Amino acid sequence: MTATTRPVRTTTPAQWLRKNLFRTPLDSVLTLILAPLSLYALYLAARFVFVTGRWEIVEVNLKLLMVGNWPIDHMARISVTLVAFGFLGGIVAGLVHARQVRRGTASVLNMSRRERILDLARRFGLILFTVLLLLALTSTWGPTITAVGVVVAGVAGRVVGGILGRLHLPKPVAIVLVLLMLSTPFLLYFYLVDAVPLARWEGFWFNLSSAAAGIILCFPLGVLIAIGRRSKLPLIRGMSTIYVELVRGVPFFVLLLMAHVALEFFVPASIAPSRPVRAIVVFTIFTAAYLAEIVRGGLQSVPRGQEEAARAVGLSPFSVMSRIVLPQALRNVIPAQIGQFISLFKDTVLAGLAMSIFDMAQVASAITQQSAFRGQGLIVETLTFTAFLFWVGAYTMSRESQRLERKLGVGTR
Amino acid sequence: MTETRNQVFADATAVDDPVIELESVDKFFGDFQALKEINLRVGRQEVVVVIGPSGSGKSTMIRCINRLEEHDAGRIVVNGVELSEDIKAIQEIRRETGMVFQQFNLFPHLSVIDNITLAPRLVRGLPKAQAEQEAMELLERVRIPEQARKYPGQLSGGQQQRVAIARALAMRPEVMLFDEPTSALDPEMIGEVLDVMKDLARGGMTMIVVTHEMNFAREVADRVVFMAQGQIVEVGTPEHFFTNPQEDRTKLFLSQIL
Repeated sequence: MTATTRPVRTTTPAQWLRKNLFRTPLDSVLTLILAPLSLYALYLAARFVFVTGRWEIVEVNLKLLMVGNWPIDHMARISVTLVAFGFLGGIVAGLVHARQVRRGTASVLNMSRRERILDLARRFGLILFTVLLLLALTSTWGPTITAVGVVVAGVAGRVVGGILGRLHLPKPVAIVLVLLMLSTPFLLYFYLVDAVPLARWEGFWFNLSSAAAGIILCFPLGVLIAIGRRSKLPLIRGMSTIYVELVRGVPFFVLLLMAHVALEFFVPASIAPSRPVRAIVVFTIFTAAYLAEIVRGGLQSVPRGQEEAARAVGLSPFSVMSRIVLPQALRNVIPAQIGQFISLFKDTVLAGLAMSIFDMAQVASAITQQSAFRGQGLIVETLTFTAFLFWVGAYTMSRESQRLERKLGVGTR
Repeated sequence: MTETRNQVFADATAVDDPVIELESVDKFFGDFQALKEINLRVGRQEVVVVIGPSGSGKSTMIRCINRLEEHDAGRIVVNGVELSEDIKAIQEIRRETGMVFQQFNLFPHLSVIDNITLAPRLVRGLPKAQAEQEAMELLERVRIPEQARKYPGQLSGGQQQRVAIARALAMRPEVMLFDEPTSALDPEMIGEVLDVMKDLARGGMTMIVVTHEMNFAREVADRVVFMAQGQIVEVGTPEHFFTNPQEDRTKLFLSQIL
């Protein structure tokens, strides 16, 4: 009789240790060296976080770190924005889910309730933890109400999106809805700058929003330049190549300094854009050049036969690119694209330094000069906190990119 | 030599009501001449099978017909439209010619049904429902309607190639070009693809088939074209070809392959 189910292997702890830590003499030596080292590092970190670290400076200055000198009277506008984005994100997630159900590619359909909750915890656990941590440090109710609002809006949006995705909306209605969703970020932007001009966006809020703006703006530019480098027209190809080589050859920091200082030589100060605008322009120009190279690699990874088949069935050159080549190219380079976006997100602190923008890193350094905290070496605490927030953002982007890659890969290979 | 060439010229072009005409077509890849003075006419509802050793220009010839390669000299006319730099002419010819590739070249990010309906919707402007209905009829014809919602990566090679045939047919082409459609298939799947092609031929489709399947040539072809070193060496009925080839190169090739 042959076994029809995979045999269950039981492992005792001793076997596990032997297999994973002491398999060979070299393994044993490495384990004996590295285990104490990592335990010690863990101990030091835990001691710093829970015992020796004096986190009052973060607690007292939390608002400064997060939003700089944003007027208290207008804090509600940030809350409204976050809730709106929560709702928007929920709708998009619901629409995507409905689409995947329709195509039979939704991975959650094969999950039990328990696996789904675990999946959600893995995705949002870290963010939830961070938000709870921040809320614990606040003394007012505003942030808590906002956080609850974002969660409720997100869930509501997910439900609405799921319903919208199942309905067969007539085309005009669908187009209006999409336009409405696309215009929401811009409406919110005007809603915000109506109260607080861009020049006064500070703290983590500056890092976050300027990175988002840079990512949104650099994407189409980068894709266009990548396509331009494959153009048959020498002028377009040449200009695209020169753009990429020029921008990639200059240090990011120097570009920022030039935008800050040198711009005034060419443009009168009265009409020159404010510093955050210049920073976003530099982010866009710089990241677009790198993105163009990444996308060009993606375009080259699509087999020639794809383009030939698309041309052979009579598609126009534009359709060949937009329907066949580009979707495959972009999917092939998702990890590299997201990596570039993560870089941009972190590099926004350089704009703070180069252009005297009061971004989170600048706040973190400035608050150590407050009379209550001066000369106590508290910069370690403030920088650790800053680093932690950036890490949460970057790590979440990285996780979501892997998830996106897996999802888009369903049924395609 | 000249004499043979003239002989061939007469043979390859003696067709009434041609759908495809190639006149003195030359094609270079760098300094290498891939096609030399190709003259061929294909009549309506005719099945022409092109055979020859690899590197003889068979694929290049049919790829020139729908402008996947640009010919350097001569004329190519498809269904009354001459191939030129004019994008409109190229698009019109591509609409009239369906092509099936050795490597299938299905779009991996689209489902089977979307692979088939994409061009009819974008190029012929069909509404979605009608395009899908036509696609389902084509899938019936290639005998895999149950695979409509799957993705190419989930199908076997033979199934993929049949979807590729359906995709080409969805544009309702006047002519079908087959570029070694069974060369990349596992042996057990070659039959199912050839069967679909035989059905098409019986249905009156004009076809040019580049292949190494001699049985297909014998059974289905109206004419067989033998190419070597970028030239059409000999043209004739399958019977003439397999029983009484005239040219030495043809005899040598057939002796190697049969």
